[in-house]
Amino acid sequence: MLRHLFTLIWNRKRANLLLISEVFFSFVVLFGVGAVLITVGKNYLAPHGFNYEQVWRLEVRAGQGSKMPRAELDDVLRQVKALPGVQTVALTSGNVPFIFSVNNSEFAYKGKKSPVTNNYDADDHYAEVMQMHLREGRWFAQTDDGSNHRPVVITQDLRESMFGDEPALGKIFTYGEPGKDPKPEDEFQVMGVVDNVNMESDFSAPIPAVWKRLIPFDTTHWETANVLVRVAPGEGGILQEKIARTVAGVTRQWTTEVRVMDDDRLHRRMFTLVPVVGLCLMGLFLIINVALGLFGVLWYNISQRRAEIGLRRAMGATGAGIGWQFLGEMMVVTTFGVVLGSLLAAQFPLLNAFDLPAQPYVLAIGAAAGAVYFITALCAWQPSRLAAAIQPAVALREE
Amino acid sequence: MENLLANSPEHRTQPAAVPNGATPVLQLTNIEKVYQTKTIETVALNQVNLTINRGEFVSIMGPSGCGKSTLLSLMGLLDEPSSGTIEVDGRAVTSFSDKELANLRNLKIGFVFQSYHLINDLSVVDNVEVPLLYRKGMSGKERRQRALTALDKVGLSARTAHFPGQLSGGQRQRVAIARALAGGPEIILADEPTGNLDSVMGEEIMELLMDLNRRDGVTVVMVTHDEQQALKTERVIRFFDGSQVS
Ligand SMILES: Nc1ncnc2c1ncn2[C@@H]1O[C@H](COP(=O)(O)OP(=O)(O)OP(=O)(O)O)[C@@H](O)[C@H]1O
Ligand SMILES: [Mg+2]
Repeated sequence: MLRHLFTLIWNRKRANLLLISEVFFSFVVLFGVGAVLITVGKNYLAPHGFNYEQVWRLEVRAGQGSKMPRAELDDVLRQVKALPGVQTVALTSGNVPFIFSVNNSEFAYKGKKSPVTNNYDADDHYAEVMQMHLREGRWFAQTDDGSNHRPVVITQDLRESMFGDEPALGKIFTYGEPGKDPKPEDEFQVMGVVDNVNMESDFSAPIPAVWKRLIPFDTTHWETANVLVRVAPGEGGILQEKIARTVAGVTRQWTTEVRVMDDDRLHRRMFTLVPVVGLCLMGLFLIINVALGLFGVLWYNISQRRAEIGLRRAMGATGAGIGWQFLGEMMVVTTFGVVLGSLLAAQFPLLNAFDLPAQPYVLAIGAAAGAVYFITALCAWQPSRLAAAIQPAVALREE
Repeated sequence: MENLLANSPEHRTQPAAVPNGATPVLQLTNIEKVYQTKTIETVALNQVNLTINRGEFVSIMGPSGCGKSTLLSLMGLLDEPSSGTIEVDGRAVTSFSDKELANLRNLKIGFVFQSYHLINDLSVVDNVEVPLLYRKGMSGKERRQRALTALDKVGLSARTAHFPGQLSGGQRQRVAIARALAGGPEIILADEPTGNLDSVMGEEIMELLMDLNRRDGVTVVMVTHDEQQALKTERVIRFFDGSQVS
């Protein structure tokens, strides 16, 4: 019977072209939406690699044209840290997590280039504030003050791409294009390796990262300082005000804004969520349209084939058998559309489009195929039941 | 016995089976068929009693609308009577399920229609295979074999890969007859099989049906408007306004 259906569909391919192309089209749309959703969902489920909860960020400003000598900055940090409710304080660069600020570059080790990597500055307390997980080695410490190179901590993915299976600790690497005579602070010595981090948004994939130790002389020309503060659970507005007053109290001109990192995260999340939800709605709208079209075409087909149905009933088909035949035909048509769609969709992982791993694409092909079969079966259900109800005696009446 | 008679023309007009020793294949008793629509009630058949015996070639005649097609659809188990009983091989089918009726149609009955009812998107041989698709446990190979044998019988061996659109009306009706034959039925029910054909092609089809009846012993019930054709059959049943008049 299945072969009979294939023959029938194949011989009617011209008439079925509309149906097949609708299925193909739905498949491609569902595949696209599916690939985005799966990628985004996978990223959402992956750990961030640090703990953003109970972390605040301070944007400390020295005021018009003023600079920030390290001694005064240290004084501010000390006093903020001394406030009850504040657990740890760390100094970092402006590209804190979840805000639209990126600082990246490529690195190289013995001629082997790294992928594009995010650069962060960090002091000795950063890992404690962010609660990062060290896989190898240690975070920087005061003992690194005498180091001849710039101490850095890297993420696991960067470690794998530059050092592979070799040990990474103690290795020295440079920028991708180091120039002739790299300065000592542009030679980076690996002190530790942490878990992969995703500091962009809840829906982004992890990006390789490197944290460079802030060396004391670095801050003297700063006009702003970015400070991360880990506070005790339950702290809120009162402590934020206290921090602002404390900063203002240490040096008359300095001011600060206190932001909650979790708020930054939720804010950033909207920027991905809105287009994704828009895409889903568009996809849904298209699919509903296609489904209605499909339903109409099937309905029409069955009214066109009343004589054939009567004939088959007369030849020994049961009513239920006719219903299954029509459902089966639709599944065969769907198979043609899905096969064509899969050929197109398979190009994405095969050509390594967008530099993404193949797995989400393969999953999306499976999910789109499943969804298309489900939708077409749903659309064919009612018309098939109608076909099943056609009485065998019509064979003697339909011309 | 029928095979012996087949080649002797003088026996043609004689009944194939003696009435006394006849075996009924189809028996209709007190049949009434009423079509009920919202506004009107049509009595299509009124108190019909009819027996078709094995090996007979019966023609049914009557003016348009007198209930011939309705009668054929009841004989072919395509429809249920409003009252009365239908027996096939001595078994009443009144309480049969949709599945049992479909199975009985498939095994025992072949249909031939005025408008052929071939599936235009299937080749000739695929069309002939259709009834065999509904027979359980038959392999694709056997289906094809049987279809080819049936096509050979109607003289269309050279046209198996054609599509219905590429055939003449007479050839199409022969394909339809091959399809009715493929399942090896006991009875062929034909509703004006020559109605769409000119007299020459109509004659060919008539010869074919008579041949099947004589040679293979297939029982044939044929509705016709053609007096000449009817006279060639063993028995003519005349209808008028839902009732049998002779
Ligand atoms: N499905 C139906 N619903 C209502 N009335 C019907 C239906 N089928 C047939 N009839 C009526 O039953 C009567 C008998 O119809 P039938 O088709 O059996 O006639 P017929 O003898 O085959 O005519 P013809 O020679 O024109 O084919 C007609 O009056 C017809 O209008
Ligand atoms: Mg009729």
